[in-house]
Amino acid sequence: MTPLELALLALVIGAAVATAALRSVLSSVVAFGAYSLGIAIIWVFLRAPDVGLTEAAVGAGIMTVLFLLTIVKTEHPDVERTFERLDLRAAGVAVALVLVLSTTLFALPAVGDADSAVADDDVTEYYLDNAYEETQVNNAVTAVLAAYRGFDTMGEAAVVYSAGVGLLVVLNREVFG
Amino acid sequence: MSQQEAGTPDTEAPTARGGSYVSTPIIMATVRVVMPFVFTFGLFVMFHGADSSGGGFQGGVIVGTVVLMLGIAFGIEATREWIGPRIPVVLVGIGMLAFLFTGIGSVLLGAGFLDYSVYADIGVPKASKYGIEFVELAIGVIVAGIVTGLFFAIAAGVEEGESA
Repeated sequence: MTPLELALLALVIGAAVATAALRSVLSSVVAFGAYSLGIAIIWVFLRAPDVGLTEAAVGAGIMTVLFLLTIVKTEHPDVERTFERLDLRAAGVAVALVLVLSTTLFALPAVGDADSAVADDDVTEYYLDNAYEETQVNNAVTAVLAAYRGFDTMGEAAVVYSAGVGLLVVLNREVFG
Repeated sequence: MSQQEAGTPDTEAPTARGGSYVSTPIIMATVRVVMPFVFTFGLFVMFHGADSSGGGFQGGVIVGTVVLMLGIAFGIEATREWIGPRIPVVLVGIGMLAFLFTGIGSVLLGAGFLDYSVYADIGVPKASKYGIEFVELAIGVIVAGIVTGLFFAIAAGVEEGESA
């Protein structure tokens, strides 16, 4: 692990803890934005720029704005303490869960490992070999998303559509009805 | 957006507890300069999702951000009235229908659902590539519509609550 990656990891974990521990909601939202930004950079490190771009646009960008808009109306109590009081039992459960999940980390292949189950899988090989001739797009991710699994992506778009329209109808009724 | 509309939020000045936004010439000028670049970048991400990283979901959010920037700079209420409540919903519907009919269209032409290459029969050059980019564009329209709609719906609640 390079120092840069270690620093990123420290930023992400620090921001996550800050999001949970900060008492003021506004500070929490800002820390959450920093967390999303760190995660977006980690995706780029893991060579998944498509996911990183999404995280940067949605997680760090839009979600922060929507959260900020949402808390504008809430009361901001005068805080004497910067941090929430630590709930020891909840923190214990969280730490235990992280520890249990961490034991599976060692079973994962290294990043970019040529022998990993994903890299030498027949399906992966097929996509990488045939994506350009069959779909004429250079980005294999897009080829899989829009061509090989286009029906799946249409389902995703339909989920976004129905969830969004439902929310818009409810929110507009709250406001105008 | 005209200068006059830009000036309207000044009359209903930010409330004592610092309302949801403060309209300043600096922000307005910055948004005017930056907006076309952000819009172009959003379209770039959508179109070039086929050849580089990117795609409809990401590009749609970036294009939607342009409207958010307009709202923040020129007053959320003014921008909301300018856009109206229907346009985002209509856009979202159009995007979804465009995606659906791309799939149904290829079935009508005798191939499988979303089998883009069949569009070459009706004279679309590089049918598969442009089919995919069309679908990405449809996704982008859906996402951009949702993002702007949500923003103004939530912001409207804020304004209403403060005046009430």
